[in-house]
Amino acid sequence: MYTTLSFEESGDVAKITLLHETITMAMVRELTSVCNHLEDESDCKVVVFQGAEGRFSRGIDFAEFKPDEPMDIHGFNKWEKICVRIERLPKATIALVDGPCLGGGAQLALVADAVVATPNSTFQFNEVHLGFLPGMATFRLAKHVGLGRAKRLIMQCPVLSAEDALNLGLIGEVTRDLDSALTATIGAFGPIHTVAVTLARRLLNESFATDFENGIGNFLAAQHRAIHQTPFLETIKKHRDE
Amino acid sequence: MSTTKAKILSVGTSNPPNRYSQQDVLDLFRVANPTVRAMFQASHIEGRHLVLPEPDAEGIPREDQESLLRKHRKWSLKLAREAIAKALEPQGLKTADIDYLCCITSTGLMLPGLTAMFIKHLGFRVDCHRADLVGMGCNAGLNGLNPTANWCAANPGRNALMVCCEVNSALYVYDDAITTGVVNSLFGDGCAAVLLRGEAPDENPVPQIMDFYSHIIPDAWGAMRYDWQSQHGKFGFYLDRDVPYVLGIHAETPINGLLGRNRLKRRDIDHWIIHSGGKKVIDAIKYNIGITAHDVRHTVDILRQFGNLGSGSFLFSYQRLLNEGAVRPGDRGVMMTMGPGSTIETALLQW
Repeated sequence: MYTTLSFEESGDVAKITLLHETITMAMVRELTSVCNHLEDESDCKVVVFQGAEGRFSRGIDFAEFKPDEPMDIHGFNKWEKICVRIERLPKATIALVDGPCLGGGAQLALVADAVVATPNSTFQFNEVHLGFLPGMATFRLAKHVGLGRAKRLIMQCPVLSAEDALNLGLIGEVTRDLDSALTATIGAFGPIHTVAVTLARRLLNESFATDFENGIGNFLAAQHRAIHQTPFLETIKKHRDE
Repeated sequence: MSTTKAKILSVGTSNPPNRYSQQDVLDLFRVANPTVRAMFQASHIEGRHLVLPEPDAEGIPREDQESLLRKHRKWSLKLAREAIAKALEPQGLKTADIDYLCCITSTGLMLPGLTAMFIKHLGFRVDCHRADLVGMGCNAGLNGLNPTANWCAANPGRNALMVCCEVNSALYVYDDAITTGVVNSLFGDGCAAVLLRGEAPDENPVPQIMDFYSHIIPDAWGAMRYDWQSQHGKFGFYLDRDVPYVLGIHAETPINGLLGRNRLKRRDIDHWIIHSGGKKVIDAIKYNIGITAHDVRHTVDILRQFGNLGSGSFLFSYQRLLNEGAVRPGDRGVMMTMGPGSTIETALLQW
């Protein structure tokens, strides 16, 4: 069914494996169809993004651009749309990085809720050195690492080791054993109450772009929704019965 | 074979000429209660068009119930005249071309109603079919759009006009109570008219009205209501503080119903045309149905510029959306209005 990626789902966990090293429009379409499935039909609670055979993603596929044809901005828009959909999936999302994670690959890691990488992984926002822009990493990265560091990462395009990325707060863990780290990370997310997880993430993503007055209005609206869901009602029932 | 559905051909809006900032109103009514003052300052409204009288001997623009009713009648006619002309003009139509007239108001009781007054003064034909929807509140625009659209579908090629006419300043009570503060700080005056006609789908780049889905929350029956206030000899509007949250938590039900029945997902909806009920209501809707600040940009903007205009608010947002020029053929929109009952009304549009 898919050619650029493979998708498997077992119990609470769905895994998306990027089979191609570069991001093509075909991959964007397939990611879109995976997101449709995850939003519409899937009961899984965790979505894992990983690469294959010691690589994650080297970013955009330049073969899809022809120097003698008009440039098309809409493909970039499609890429941003799929990134924001992944960022807002009603699941916890985890990126497992083993190998180069460059350009669009690094942008993808940035929209995951957690990133775990092996020591032989490297991270780089290389776009500006190539004459274009690293997508909405220009919007997201400073929230992760601070403006000064984001300027360095995006304008000077350094190649970061996994250790560098960990120290910058770009990723959460470096380990040789991705399988155990994945199990531990899923465990750390705990029961994953979809509504609470999704609303908390949304408020956090909005936090740098909202003033306090609007932020607290947003928070109260979200909190009201959260406390009317089953998980919170079970929490207070359990507390009452203890 | 394609079925005839109502299309929204054009929209026109109007407001009274005088615009007041929140500070202007506080000063005019000499509001002293600090809670009420804070409410004015935090209501996310920059200004509102209102019809307020000259101050009386005590320096307050006070009106009795009789003057409020007279004001409602006078300004309904003025505002409707302008909004109707603006809605008909792009289609080259006159009021005499209208075959069905539906008028909506909750800000003044009249008998005969607005339709009769408009026929008398605005040149509608005497055989124009008509319906007056009175006292249904902020959601009433969609309660009126539903029968108007059905009439159009049943009478292809004939013209129907719906007019939402709210003179909210005709509900003004003058005291220091917090409930009064809520009303006096939130609602503005304005009128919106939409022209509808039943047509088969074609290239005409206007939306077809595909479906409606209603939801009422009987447990919140009294959350928004008129109370007779004998100390003032006036009706006053009561708005429960939990209204935004109650509406928010129920918003999914009609949205899921409307979209589910039409085999659509929320991501299939390109445009959300939502009643500008108030800042907290908009927040609650946003987080409960998972739509973004961008999706409610017009709703928020209309609130900021005009306040809550009652039944016609969502049509002001609709007009904003059209003026923005971002709608494309094939796009889908959801209209959503909320009000007393407590009620959530929804409609599905297809461009």
